[in-house]
Amino acid sequence: MKNKLLLQDMKAVPFLLPFFIVYMIFTIFPVIKGLEMSFYDWSLIGKLDFVGLENFTVMFSDPFFWRSLWNTTLFVILTTPTMMLLALGLALLANLNTKLQTFFRGAYFLPSILSVAVISFLAIFMLQPYNGFVNTILHSIGIEAEPFWLADKYLAWITIVVVTLWWTVGTNMILFLVALQDIPESLYEASEIDGATRWQQFWYITLPQLKPISKVILLLQVLASFKVFAQIMLITGGGPGGATRPLIQYIYESGFTQNNLGYAAAMSFALFFILLILSIIQLRPQRSEES
Amino acid sequence: MKKRLILLIGIVLTAITLAACSGGGSDDAGGDVEVPEGATEVVMWNLFGGGDAAFMQEIVDEFNASQDAIFVNNVQQEFEEYYTKLITSVSAGKGPDLAVSHASVLPELVSQGLVQELDTYGEEVGVNWGEFNQNILESTVFDEQHYAIPIDTHPHIFFVNNKLVGDAGLMNEDGSVKMEQTPEGFVEFMTTLKEELPEDKFPMSFSTAGVDSYRLWFSFYTQLGGENIVTDDLENPEYVLDVDKAIEAAEYMHDLWHEHEVIPLNLADFYADFQSGNAATTSTGVWATGTWEATEELEFTALPAPNIFGQDAAFGNSHTFVVPTSQDADPEVQKGAIEFMDYATDKGVIWAEAGHIPSKTTVVESEEYAELPYRSDYVEVANYVNFPDQTVHARGIEDIMIRNLDLIWTDEESPEEAFKLIEDEVKALIGG
Repeated sequence: MKNKLLLQDMKAVPFLLPFFIVYMIFTIFPVIKGLEMSFYDWSLIGKLDFVGLENFTVMFSDPFFWRSLWNTTLFVILTTPTMMLLALGLALLANLNTKLQTFFRGAYFLPSILSVAVISFLAIFMLQPYNGFVNTILHSIGIEAEPFWLADKYLAWITIVVVTLWWTVGTNMILFLVALQDIPESLYEASEIDGATRWQQFWYITLPQLKPISKVILLLQVLASFKVFAQIMLITGGGPGGATRPLIQYIYESGFTQNNLGYAAAMSFALFFILLILSIIQLRPQRSEES
Repeated sequence: MKKRLILLIGIVLTAITLAACSGGGSDDAGGDVEVPEGATEVVMWNLFGGGDAAFMQEIVDEFNASQDAIFVNNVQQEFEEYYTKLITSVSAGKGPDLAVSHASVLPELVSQGLVQELDTYGEEVGVNWGEFNQNILESTVFDEQHYAIPIDTHPHIFFVNNKLVGDAGLMNEDGSVKMEQTPEGFVEFMTTLKEELPEDKFPMSFSTAGVDSYRLWFSFYTQLGGENIVTDDLENPEYVLDVDKAIEAAEYMHDLWHEHEVIPLNLADFYADFQSGNAATTSTGVWATGTWEATEELEFTALPAPNIFGQDAAFGNSHTFVVPTSQDADPEVQKGAIEFMDYATDKGVIWAEAGHIPSKTTVVESEEYAELPYRSDYVEVANYVNFPDQTVHARGIEDIMIRNLDLIWTDEESPEEAFKLIEDEVKALIGG
C-alpha cells in the first residue's frame, strides 16, 4: 500500500523536474551567487576582493540609497491605495448588468497587454509640452498654463502614478471581478427580502465578501510596486535630477555604469529583506484566520 | 501500460527542457557568416546606429573587396548594453577580435586589461602614428602606449538655420553669422532673434535636461579655462573641478532659459524643432550634420560652438578601434585587425559623411575632404576639443554631472548647491 502511494508520488516527479531544474538554475542559483557577490568588491569582469560586510555598512550611510528607497516607498504609498480603489470601482462597473459590460471589461483590461516600452512611449508622446495631446486639450478649454508633466518633480510623480494605474489596473480589476461573481446570489436575494437598500447590500455583503481577495491584491500590489523600475526609467529616467529614481534604478546604475556589482548585490538583498518582512507581516494574520 | 506512457511523456518533456537549456547557439562572437576561402576572419563588434552604421559597413565592404587575405565580419550590436556586453564577453574569453569603443570608455578597458596595446603589431603592420591628429590621438594613449586607433572626434558644435537668422538680419553677405563672441554678444544675438522672429519661431532649440546640456556646459566651462572634473588618473583620480568657473558657466546657461527666455523649457525633441525650421539655432554633436543634410528645405550653417569666454574649447569624444585581449589570440588575426583599422582611418572621407571629424590629418587635409560641404567649417575643433577625463570613473562621473546639472536647468537648485552635491557624489564615487 505504502509502495503504491510512493509510486503515485513518483509519477509527479518527471513533470515537476523540468520546472524545478530551470528554477534552480535561473532563480535559486543567482540568489545564492548574489549573496556571495554582496560580500565582495565585484566588478563587471569578476571577483576582486573579499570585503565582508563593507558593502552593507556603506549602504546604510549612503544618502542615495535612502533617497531612492524613499522614492520606491513613495511610489508604493501613492499607487497601492489608489490602485485598490480604482480596481474595485472598475470591477463594480464591469459587473453591472448593462449592454456595455463586455466593453468595460475589454477597455479597462486592454492597456495591461501592452508592453512597458509601448505605454511609456505613449505617455511621453501624450504628455509632451507645447504640442502634446494633454496640454493641447488643456489649452483648448482655456487653460493657459504649460504644465511640464515630465520635468517638474511633483508632476513627474503624478505622471508615473497615473500611467502605472492606467497600465496595470486591468489585472486587479479582473481579480475583483472574479471575486464579485463568486459572491452567492442567495445572499443578495435574502437581503432583498429583509428590505436592504443597494448601499446596505454593498456595505454588508459585497465588501466583506471581497475581503480575502483584497488581501491577496494588496500583497501582490505592494510586492510588485516595490519592484518598480521600467516605466520610471523609460518615462522620466529617474529625473528630474533623481527626484523619481527608484531603488532598482540605483541598483542598476551602481552595478552597470559605476561597475560595482558587489554594492548593487548588497542593495538588492536589502530590498529582498524588505519584501520578505512585508510578506510575512501580511501573510501572518491571514493564516491565523484560515485556521 | 498507462503508467509507462505517463512516465515516458515525463522523460521526453524533461529531455526537451534540458536540451533547450543547453542552448544550440555557437560560441562564435561573429554569428553565421560565410568567410571567403583562404581569408583570415576578423570579427568586429560595433556600436553604431543609423547613418553611422551604414558608413562603417561601406568601409568594411570596401576593405573586404580590396584584398583577399583578411575578411572583416562586421557585427552590429545594440548600443544600450554594448559596453556591458563587450566587457563581460571579453573577460569570459568570448569577445570579438576587433571592437569599437568610445575614447571615454578606454580607461575602463585598459585598467581591466581587456584591450591590447597596439604598438608592437602596429609597427609590424606599418601604422604611422604621425598621420593622426595629435589632440585626438592623445585620448587613446595610456602610459605612453597606444591602446586604440581613433576613428574620429565628434565634438559638440553649433548649428544655425540660415533662413531664420538671415530674416532677423543677423547674417553677413558671405554667409557668416553676425555675432560678437562674448558672453554679452551671444545673449544679444539670441535676444535679437527673439525680437525679430515671428511668434511661432524661437531663437534656440535645446534640451533642458540630459547629456546635451551637460556637454554645452562642459564646453563653456573649458572655454573659461576649467580643465578637468577629476585628474587623469586611471584608478585614483582627485577631484579638481574649478567651482567658480563651473558656477559661472552654469549660471550663464541657466539664464538662457530663465532670464533671457531664448530657449523654451523642456522641449520634448529639440532635434525635431530645429529640423522642422522652428528654431533659429541649436547646439549638439557634429553627427547631426548628416541628419540636417538629409532634411529637405533646411538650409543651415555648421560652426564651432561660439567661443564666448576666451579660450578655444569644446566638449568632444572619439570613436576608436581596439583589439580585445584574448588568451589564445592568433597574431595573424590581430595584425589583420590593425591592418583594417589603418585602412578604415584612411577612408575617413566616407566616415566624415556621417558628420564626424576624421582622425587622420592626412585625410582632413585631402582635397576630397575639402569638397565635402559643411565639414571644413568646424574641422578646426579637432585641434582643441576636450575629452572626458581619463579615468575608470568617467561614465559614473558623467551620470552624476548630468543628474545634478539638471537641477540647475530646471531651477530646482542654485548652481552653488548643485556643485556641492556634485562634489560630494563624485568624491564618494572616486574614493569608494
